[in-house]
Amino acid sequence: MDALMEMQPLTESDFSDSPIWQDVLAQAVTGELVAAMNYEALAGICDDPEEAGQAWEHSAIERSHAVAFAAAGRNIGVDVVSNVDGRHWKRLREAFLRCVAERDIIGCLIVQEIMLESFALASYARVAIVAPGSLGKVFGAIAADEQEHADHAMAILKAERDADPERFDDKLHRLHLEVMTTLAAMLAKECKDGHCEVCQSSCVKPSLFEVNLSAALLRGASLQQYIKTLDALGLPGEVTLAWIAQLPV
Amino acid sequence: MDCTVAGIAPSAAPQVDFALVGHPESWSAAADVFSALRGPEQTPLPDDEIRDILPWIPPRAVCRVAVKSIAAAEAHGLYIDSFIPPDRLDAGCVQENLTRVRAAAAYAIKAGARIVSLGGFSSILLEGKFDQLPPGRATVFTTGNTLTVAFIVQGIEKMCALQGRNLWQSTLLVVGATGDVGSGCVRCLAGKVRRVQLVARNVERLRRLAVELEGEGVEIEIGTDLAQFSEQADLAICAASLPSPSLLLDNIAADALVCDAGYPKNLSPDAETSRATVFFGGLGQITGGLTFDPDLRGILNHHPFPDVAHGCLLEGIALTLEGRFESFSRGRGAITPKLVEEIEMIAARHGIYLAPFFNGDGPLPLTMK
Repeated sequence: MDALMEMQPLTESDFSDSPIWQDVLAQAVTGELVAAMNYEALAGICDDPEEAGQAWEHSAIERSHAVAFAAAGRNIGVDVVSNVDGRHWKRLREAFLRCVAERDIIGCLIVQEIMLESFALASYARVAIVAPGSLGKVFGAIAADEQEHADHAMAILKAERDADPERFDDKLHRLHLEVMTTLAAMLAKECKDGHCEVCQSSCVKPSLFEVNLSAALLRGASLQQYIKTLDALGLPGEVTLAWIAQLPV
Repeated sequence: MDCTVAGIAPSAAPQVDFALVGHPESWSAAADVFSALRGPEQTPLPDDEIRDILPWIPPRAVCRVAVKSIAAAEAHGLYIDSFIPPDRLDAGCVQENLTRVRAAAAYAIKAGARIVSLGGFSSILLEGKFDQLPPGRATVFTTGNTLTVAFIVQGIEKMCALQGRNLWQSTLLVVGATGDVGSGCVRCLAGKVRRVQLVARNVERLRRLAVELEGEGVEIEIGTDLAQFSEQADLAICAASLPSPSLLLDNIAADALVCDAGYPKNLSPDAETSRATVFFGGLGQITGGLTFDPDLRGILNHHPFPDVAHGCLLEGIALTLEGRFESFSRGRGAITPKLVEEIEMIAARHGIYLAPFFNGDGPLPLTMK
């Protein structure tokens, strides 16, 4: 996170693509806030005080990410408006809360750490490459942070799968159908179901090429991160390939 | 194992004796696989979506393969796709594609495969440098090219017999003659024809091959220009994919017999410009039993006849059924008639034979003359 402290004010002319970054940042801030809320909810079902403390800590970190993204927006002269009740984010949040309602800690970790974080990590890493100046540094630093979270959760999830692979894979597939279907719709090249309610005006996707990004690139990178995570957990490649192939586009 | 496309694999890791590493031959072949994996209830992915998604998929198993020998042996394996995008098979993407082949090899090693067949471009990319693959103490690799050569040679001989051609009086043109497959074919057939014409890009390698064949008592010509020879040949083996079929077919003798042994196969006879008989070579058929899980039969191996596959993949299967886990083909131009005869016998012992004849237009009639 040191990179966040190194931000230097830039002139408006450095960011002629500000409206695009405004929408990219709005999605990032919304995602971080949803993650923060998810960890808060997770803390509430942890019986072990140490685990609960870790969940609270993660929540605070995700919230600090949201703050950093918002600051990065101000730095380039844009107001970043989040909306955790936006069409897709709301559905993702509801999927997580269903796991909370069932006091299913593993389900919560699967949704947040495998699915949402794969999307965040891969997207941030790609944005970091093309975003100018300090904005790129912020995305890069937060991507590195998210990687650390994911590594921690992976150890827990791997142990859980090793104990009962069939049960674990069954749960993962059920959540995949719910969560990854929504993420795939978010990452589709076009928003076929209407406005996402996070972008400020029209959908940002068609404009992403102006900053050397595209919805297809972000989707591809995210799916790759996701499938690699499933590989690391030990799921059979032929099974996860079919899951990916069946996602909506 | 009953692993439905959408379902979950059972917890116990199934046995993996062999792995077959391949890649999509074309975008339409990739689309067929995706369509099958999506299932009939979902609309197929549009072509542009497949082109966007496929390059991001890390090498992985596409399906499990079970094979039965006519000698009662059974073997289980994986078909691993390296997901090299079909439009990135050119020289500019060698490093990127090698990375994919290495990852596919690592996947096979992790799955516990004892022998891995490197199909299609996988072995071409490696150029026999198996040391570029990740080390696997219990895994060996084979290019599978010896069985490919066996099926090409068998195909030429059988087609000549069917068409009443006199092989001994023939002029054989081999395109890609200095490659692993091309040179293997030349060694097997040089002593059985009147004249051989060898075409390749590297003159020095051509010279070396010609010197090697001097003792066969055959008339040998070498060259780098295909047009220099093609109209004189009445038999041709195309062991390298040509940029355009017309380079060969527009100039070949009117009634020539052409074996398209390149990968991907792209010689389609044009009724208006060529009367040559073109058949796809290097393919074999498993007769003891072949199953895919999920059931991608006829999709992964999209041929007009059932249970047909490329010789390079079948070599690993034949060696597994024989219990010979060894790097039979190492891809350095070392394929000899003796090795070809040996792998032919192993394959035949397990019911793996030359595939029925076909080309891009479909099955070929058995008697054409």
